[in-house]
Amino acid sequence: MESDAEEETSATPAAAPAAGRLKGSPELTVDADMREMAKTAAWSVSSCKAGNGVAALRDDNLDTYWQSDGAQPHLVNIQFQKKVQLQLVVLYVDFKLDESYTPSKISIRAGDGFHNLKEIKTVELAKPVGWVHISLSGADPRETFIHTFMLQIAVLSNHLNGRDTHVRQIKIFGPRPNPVPRQPFHFISREFITYSTIR
Amino acid sequence: METLMVDRIHSSLRLFMHRNAIFLCERLCAQFPSEANLQLLATCYLHNNQPYAAYHILKGKKLPESRYLFAMSCFRMNLLREAEDTLCPVNEPNIESIQVPSGATGNYLLGVIYRCTGRMSAAAEQFTQALTVDPLLWAAYEELCILGVAEDADECFSEATALRLQQEHASTSALEKSNFANENRILSSSLPSSLGDIIPKQMKQLHANITAEVPGYHHVRGTALHVQSSAASNIAQFDTPSPATAQTSSIVPPPLFRNVHAYQNTISVDAPAKQKANGANQPLRRKYLDEARLKKVSGRLFNQSSESLPRRSARLSRDTAINSNSNISQFGGNGTDHSSGKLRVNSSTPSKLCSTAVRSVQVRKGKPRATENFDEGSRNEVIDEMWTDNEPATSSSVTTDGRFFEQDKAERIMSQDSKLAVGIRELLGLLRLLGEGFRLSCLFKCQEALEVFRKLPEPQFNTGWVLCQVGKAYFELVDYLESDHYFELAHRLSPCTLDGMDIYSTVLYHLNAEMRLSYLAQELISIDRLSPQAWCAVGNCFALRKDHETALKNFQRAVQLDSRFAYAHTLCGHEYSALEDYENSLKFYQCALQVDERHYNAWYGLGVVYLRQEKFEFAEHHFRRAFQINPRSSVLMCYLGMALHSLKRNEEALEMMEKAIAADKKNPLPKYQKALILLGLQKYTEALEELERLKEIAPHESSMYALMGKIYKQLNILDKAVFCFGIALDLKPPAADLAIIKAAMEKVHLPDELMDDDL
Repeated sequence: MESDAEEETSATPAAAPAAGRLKGSPELTVDADMREMAKTAAWSVSSCKAGNGVAALRDDNLDTYWQSDGAQPHLVNIQFQKKVQLQLVVLYVDFKLDESYTPSKISIRAGDGFHNLKEIKTVELAKPVGWVHISLSGADPRETFIHTFMLQIAVLSNHLNGRDTHVRQIKIFGPRPNPVPRQPFHFISREFITYSTIR
Repeated sequence: METLMVDRIHSSLRLFMHRNAIFLCERLCAQFPSEANLQLLATCYLHNNQPYAAYHILKGKKLPESRYLFAMSCFRMNLLREAEDTLCPVNEPNIESIQVPSGATGNYLLGVIYRCTGRMSAAAEQFTQALTVDPLLWAAYEELCILGVAEDADECFSEATALRLQQEHASTSALEKSNFANENRILSSSLPSSLGDIIPKQMKQLHANITAEVPGYHHVRGTALHVQSSAASNIAQFDTPSPATAQTSSIVPPPLFRNVHAYQNTISVDAPAKQKANGANQPLRRKYLDEARLKKVSGRLFNQSSESLPRRSARLSRDTAINSNSNISQFGGNGTDHSSGKLRVNSSTPSKLCSTAVRSVQVRKGKPRATENFDEGSRNEVIDEMWTDNEPATSSSVTTDGRFFEQDKAERIMSQDSKLAVGIRELLGLLRLLGEGFRLSCLFKCQEALEVFRKLPEPQFNTGWVLCQVGKAYFELVDYLESDHYFELAHRLSPCTLDGMDIYSTVLYHLNAEMRLSYLAQELISIDRLSPQAWCAVGNCFALRKDHETALKNFQRAVQLDSRFAYAHTLCGHEYSALEDYENSLKFYQCALQVDERHYNAWYGLGVVYLRQEKFEFAEHHFRRAFQINPRSSVLMCYLGMALHSLKRNEEALEMMEKAIAADKKNPLPKYQKALILLGLQKYTEALEELERLKEIAPHESSMYALMGKIYKQLNILDKAVFCFGIALDLKPPAADLAIIKAAMEKVHLPDELMDDDL
């Protein structure tokens, strides 16, 4: 059961390499019971080049990218309107196109605001091409989600020691809310679901 | 020349040649400017879907028919204020002064305008008025049902009404009888006049836009037999006895009344057969449709105009040659059969069979649609036919021409009267059943409605409209399987009936039938891309797959197509709610309520939003409103109970849950909620009992076991708690639950802690 849970909560697809170096996959594979959480969040970046700003991270266009323009670490800050449960961060990066701009070490921090961010995950990437899924869950099933007001994705270093970085898209995933309000648990059986709402 | 042109114009209209009609009519108006001709031109424009043109030429005209046409154009162009002013001028407080040929349809139009502008009680008044003037105006009764204020169908379509109709008809026929002695000329003109009266009334009744008859009406006004409008309005529904029989060498008193026949009864088959049998003397029947919607005019219009055409020519021919007999009867088949080939039958009596037939298109909360195209299509499916019992008798009488002609006319008239009486009663009986069923289903007394609908004769029952109503009744009873069955049948029998299909798509959504839902959506789009129901179905498809954004887009399209379609607004609200955009969802629910205050889904939606936002008082208020509208829904009771529980009014909450459980044994949710409430009240054993009972109904529900686990933990029966949690996990709940349940399992052996905050 433990392994089941782990399989479900972590969404790393096929290429799960050894030593935690992620390679990225061409497909964005996310469980059906997760949804994108950051549509109403406030996104900001530590620096950017003109024409390659933060909007490129959210435009669903893999051709546009954010390019940083300052000292490392480069930061992407995501501030939510209320405390949310998050499970998965997915980035699209492409070594073949970006080479030395491709991030190689990424740190994810969470907290209430800029003043109390704490690192929750660090990953290393190895020449990634495609979507890199970074699960925020811990080993404990109680730690499937992180509850936070703010998320910060820090690019600590790039491939080939590049200074600036390109990231083409970022998506944040969390659990779906219960369609029936004020319930401790979700309903899964047909009988319950049929009677659970009026449409 | 004028009459010739008018004749050609009517014929063009009848044959759907709008441009021809408009051209000729414009020449006519240039040559013989008169208000009647202007009205005809306006009619042509309205046929051609150019209400602005009709508006322009009729602006300021004072004649009653012009005002009605003008109001209709204003309504089509959404200029409700102007339409209202025309129909009910501010400086003329007496509403009786609405001068439309039959007060009924004017009242109906005014009622719809009031309803669109939110004045429900005034609207109800108008509809009641329309019904008193014309008891067979189904659309008015329908609107009253939707407003929730309809009186019993037994009252509306009662014996008293039947007697009244009969008397009015008898008085007319007495008048006509008295004219028997007159010379043919008057008789012939009397016939067209009575028919002329009838046609406009029927048309108005059907909310047709044409007043092709109106010019005709005017023309014959001057004749001796000018029947008073209210009487005539009732005649509209029946055949006139044909005094002109005297003048015609041929026979066949028109079959006076119709019995309800199967929808699928192919008149086209019968009529040709009859024609073959009886040659040119065969009076032709016409199919008749009643319209619930103002904009659904096409087929009827053609019925009407085709009627008018022969009639005019009948008048013409009578004017010129008294003894020429042109057949005025119409043969309205399915739109396709409407060819003129069968129209001109010489020397048979004009027979006007007009009965208000029940529209087979479901009337739910929709409003007039934007398009007519679809209407025509649906009309083909929706045609109801009124046949007479005497049909065989008539045909045989046709063959015995000479003998019949020799019979005593008075005798014939009297037998016609009695047949008329029977006919009236039969029609009223049918309308009574349908009206009662519809009224009950609008009041959400679904079981009773179903019983009433079952009393219908089988051919009537197996029609799109009725089956959709039945499906809808089952839907409200939350019996989705039965509902599915009936909707499927309805869709199969009349695939072009789109009215109930939005509900059908919701049923499929509830049943999680993804394939069938997407198939239905595709089909509906291919039938009519411009109908809101089709887009609602598509949206439901996406919503089922949890793609709320696309679903929202589709529902917004539906709203765009018809902003008076309440359900589209509600569905938009649901999607916004799922996307957690509560502001917008509130907005859309309120839009839906503006259109139709009795749309309990919107009240429910508002309640859910407030529940999520933890505004429990508001939530309770809205759920209660929804509950008042639909007091039988166990799901609504459950939600009301949930709101009460959140307000900590636990006894009331429990009461409500009991009611919900009693209302629908198959609904597991109230039992579950009851267990939750009992847990909150710390009545653990009772809660457990409830959950044990629930296990019978829904054995594969992880939330149930999780809750049981919690309770066992509270009771300190730890091994059972772990056992239950284990089962819950086995049933593969979603990740969020997984986390909670696992956490709970691990904490089981720890000493009594505070519950997790999300539990």
